[in-house]
Amino acid sequence: MPPREGTYGLLAEFRTPGDLVRAARQAHEDGWRRLDCYTPYPLEEAAEAIGFHRNKVPLVTLIGGLLGGAAMFALETWISVIAFPLNIAGRPTYSWPAFLVPAYEWTILWAGLSAGFGMLALNGLPSLYHPLFNAPNFRTGATTDKFFLCLEALDPKFDLVESKAYLEGLEPISVVEVEY
Amino acid sequence: MAEELHGAIFDRPLPKELGAPAFVDGWRNRALVVCVIFAAATVILAFLGQAQDGLGWDHFLRAWMLGLMLTFGFAVGGLALLMVQYCSGGKYGLLLRRPLEAMSRTLPLVFVYWIVIAIFMKRLFLWARYTTVSSTAAALKDGLINEAQAHCLDFKRPMLNPFAFVGVSVLCFVIWGLYAWKLKSMALRRDAEGPETTPRWIKKFENWSGPGIVVYAVTITVASVYWVMSMDVTWFSTVYGLLYLVEQGFLVLAFGIIVAIALSKAEPFHTLLRQTEQHDLGKLTFAFVMLNIYLNFGQFLIIWSGNLPNEINWYLDRIRGGWGVVITLDFIFHWLVPFTLLLSRDLKRNKKRLTRVCQFMIFAVAVNLFWLIEPNFKDAARNLHFSWGILEYATLPVAMTALWVAAFCMRLKTRPLVQVNDPHLAEILEPEHAHA
Repeated sequence: MPPREGTYGLLAEFRTPGDLVRAARQAHEDGWRRLDCYTPYPLEEAAEAIGFHRNKVPLVTLIGGLLGGAAMFALETWISVIAFPLNIAGRPTYSWPAFLVPAYEWTILWAGLSAGFGMLALNGLPSLYHPLFNAPNFRTGATTDKFFLCLEALDPKFDLVESKAYLEGLEPISVVEVEY
Repeated sequence: MAEELHGAIFDRPLPKELGAPAFVDGWRNRALVVCVIFAAATVILAFLGQAQDGLGWDHFLRAWMLGLMLTFGFAVGGLALLMVQYCSGGKYGLLLRRPLEAMSRTLPLVFVYWIVIAIFMKRLFLWARYTTVSSTAAALKDGLINEAQAHCLDFKRPMLNPFAFVGVSVLCFVIWGLYAWKLKSMALRRDAEGPETTPRWIKKFENWSGPGIVVYAVTITVASVYWVMSMDVTWFSTVYGLLYLVEQGFLVLAFGIIVAIALSKAEPFHTLLRQTEQHDLGKLTFAFVMLNIYLNFGQFLIIWSGNLPNEINWYLDRIRGGWGVVITLDFIFHWLVPFTLLLSRDLKRNKKRLTRVCQFMIFAVAVNLFWLIEPNFKDAARNLHFSWGILEYATLPVAMTALWVAAFCMRLKTRPLVQVNDPHLAEILEPEHAHA
């Protein structure tokens, strides 16, 4: 695939989380869908403001945990009942109370691994490049004290001149055009 | 600074009215009505049970013990969580501080409940009935007790005797009462003084509460061993006190959430209860759900693995003869339902559904106590059977808890619902996303 060229989007910088959330809410209300917020720390209101409510990580975690628990319980049952039955102090070979502890540990393990790797798989990380790195203020402040709203060029409403004027109406500190 | 950062649309001024809303009186009245109805039902059931198998009033006392442990859990568990909160801080705790204080100030009512147990202890405890070696030997000869019980009665008599029971229990109540009184009087003085004294007060509360938590852990162990575990003289478990400790955390958080959400229909909690803190409380409750099953299952697994004749009978009494159904339901109510429901983030942020789950959790604690208490007795061990008397477990604890709720409401009305002069107060009035 040849490298993409042209405009990735317009990046508006805001001073406070409150300003960002207000602007993002406004943009979403005005019909923008290809837009994203960038903040130095998790800001749930910003995610809600742009209509991003759900992701599949909880589901992946749940499935991973259940499968992990079931796998270990099945393994223990298979070993103790079918493959290598032992008489341990007269207890039944299918001693489920004792099986629960490793099964529980595997539930936790696989839920944790599924959450971690599921998150990475779904959000596209690790990624070595992002067009927004081209914006100098993004490079210096996105992980410390600046709050950004990006309107992406893929949005059908996007128009370089009009969209820039629109973003400036949301009272940001600055608006810059970002190339791929 | 917060206002400057977030601008006018996020402003949340402190409500002018900080006292408990008027509808708390309505709760009190409703609770009293419930108390009277269920108390009347209990008396009828007791007479029916007495006529049926002669155990109607025994069941009354056993159900009374359930009610005692439940209300004791609210009162002393509330005190414990209050002390934990003074040490740990946290915005969720500022919300619950006054409700927890009100819970701890109901201790006199719990003491009255306990007195009934102390008066009729012969009906509940073998060691109170057979207080000498000779009476124990006579009971063994008559077949009233078995050999293991006779041995344990004689061996444990220095600890399990009426004098020690009363002395130790009263001492525990004095200690809890001292802490409850000290924390409540300091809280009032703290409110009266200005914000400049706050750092000094925070230290002072920490210095009282820190050791108080340790003392609580010891006294809850002592109380649960004397009051409930000793109903079966042959059995012991070193984790027993901890089970009640965790149960109280479970109970108090569930009740605290119910109260906070119910209060949020009016000021000041309408402003103060943010979704963030409600979510935090839900998460903390979830942790107690997990800890509770961890300890309970741990105890079961160790005793099941050991399979020793002096330990396993306690579980066999509670599994065989129909009790397996109760413990299965207990597991479902106590762990499976709250665990699976509280996993959901949306549920923890939904006032109505979270309240429902918390109500169900309190019911689950009662089911668990029923399973712990009833099989201690010869007529019920390994033999779950219907009698009119056993229905008292469903009525008397409701009446006792309702009366306790009325006392709680009265305590709640006596002071403002929010502690001012606390640094967390400013944070709680900030817009939610400032804390993400």
